[in-house]
Amino acid sequence: MRLTRGLLGAGGIVLVLVGLYHLLGTDFSDLVNLVLWLAGGVVVHDAVIAPLVVLAAFVALPRLPSWSRAPAVAGFVVLLSVTLLAIPAITRFGARDDVPSLLNRPYGALWSVFAVLVLVVVVAASLLRRRRHPQED
Amino acid sequence: MRAPRPPREEDFTSTLRGPEVAARVGMWLGICFTVAFLTGIWSHLYQDQPSWLTIPTRPVWIYRVTQGLHYVTGTAAVPLLLVKLYAVYPKLFAKIPFGQIRELVLHLLERVSIALLVAAAIFQLTTGVLNTTEWYAWSFSFRSTHYAVAWVAFGALVLHVAVKLPIIRDAFRRPIEDGEKPEPGLTRRGLVRTALGASGVAVLAVAGSTVPWLRSISIFETHDGSGPQDLPVTKSARAAKVTATAVDPSYALEVVHAGTSKRLSLDDLTAMTQHTETLPIACVEGWSASGEWTGVRMRDLLDVVGAPAGSSVVVRSLQQSGAFKASEVRGNLADDDKTLVALRLDGEALSIDHGYPARLIAPNRPGVLQTKWVTRIEVV
Repeated sequence: MRLTRGLLGAGGIVLVLVGLYHLLGTDFSDLVNLVLWLAGGVVVHDAVIAPLVVLAAFVALPRLPSWSRAPAVAGFVVLLSVTLLAIPAITRFGARDDVPSLLNRPYGALWSVFAVLVLVVVVAASLLRRRRHPQED
Repeated sequence: MRAPRPPREEDFTSTLRGPEVAARVGMWLGICFTVAFLTGIWSHLYQDQPSWLTIPTRPVWIYRVTQGLHYVTGTAAVPLLLVKLYAVYPKLFAKIPFGQIRELVLHLLERVSIALLVAAAIFQLTTGVLNTTEWYAWSFSFRSTHYAVAWVAFGALVLHVAVKLPIIRDAFRRPIEDGEKPEPGLTRRGLVRTALGASGVAVLAVAGSTVPWLRSISIFETHDGSGPQDLPVTKSARAAKVTATAVDPSYALEVVHAGTSKRLSLDDLTAMTQHTETLPIACVEGWSASGEWTGVRMRDLLDVVGAPAGSSVVVRSLQQSGAFKASEVRGNLADDDKTLVALRLDGEALSIDHGYPARLIAPNRPGVLQTKWVTRIEVV
């Protein structure tokens, strides 16, 4: 155990150093930009997404009947993940008129369809749970 | 009324947060990051091929599969990372042991390593996803930075596993639920399953460009498979600034070896023996598609100038600037029967966006190295 941990730890540090070594040639202004992106991701998660999730759970969960809480949380995880992944497609910032086949779908409308679909599944799963466990309410 | 204060670790009372969920979701996340790291290094080796490395030319779809796996595991990691961070979020507010120097140093070292891991992991997923839509919202080079930070992310992950190994082992030895009646709502087991399910949904909804028969349900993919001649394009003729030179009637392909140089017009190329091969274009940006290419074998062109077997060549494009205006083809690939300078796609002349009048198409090779608008082949 101690040996495994020691070897893993040392290996991990070496890999991190390899990564930092590959950054050595980068221009200073690009490095500043990189550090902003690195820190920005942490700030967006720790100071925006995570507190909003805490707030959403605090506000919404007590108002939901107990039989719908598990499906609602599961649906929320699916919707949040897919929404974050779809932001670049929905905003179409990468679209260029010389390549019409790139980002060529109505992603905003498709997102709405997806959100409704998740909602339908959550409601259906909730009703199913209520019927299976009538003692919970 | 009490004055507001910053949250503390013990303020988070949900039984879903903690090592039981973190270890299990973390294991799947670790698998995704490992596959994405290895396939990413593999992709990098094609693009900066070291002299000691010979990349096999068969099966023709190796790169298509590895780059597809890279895209799929990166996409799958997003829900897993969100749930993993949810499970450990209270640790961000853990008490800092200011009293004892040794504990303080260890605590701060761990925080630095975690910060590095979280920052690098979020960075890799964000830049990777943005790259699939070609949204370059930064000043640094995507490829070299995504490559360098990959080592940092994977190294920090290995270090994190080393630090947390006793906690991980205990979490897997205990049953996932406490045995007490859980509060109404999602159980820990339910949250782990939700994370995995969300990964599956995310892959289906976003990463369909990697698997053509998934396109119909993959609603958020960036390339729906359409394009000139039913094949997607990443770099257009306009973006490459070759719209005039590519259709110039005086176009010729120049093949150069030692002192010998031979200029071949489009008619000369068409008069040579034509071969047809079905080969995939697998773009680093994630999409892949198969086409039926017709043209002249690279080896036949090299025979015209008497280049010996095993010669490596540099293929140059009419494109004057940009990272992919030229690419190297190693001897084993240049001699391969399936390596063509293609003039036609699916029976028609190439569309200008696919590299008219002539493009390189070779087995098991990233799309960015399938040089378009080929105008010069130099034996090196």
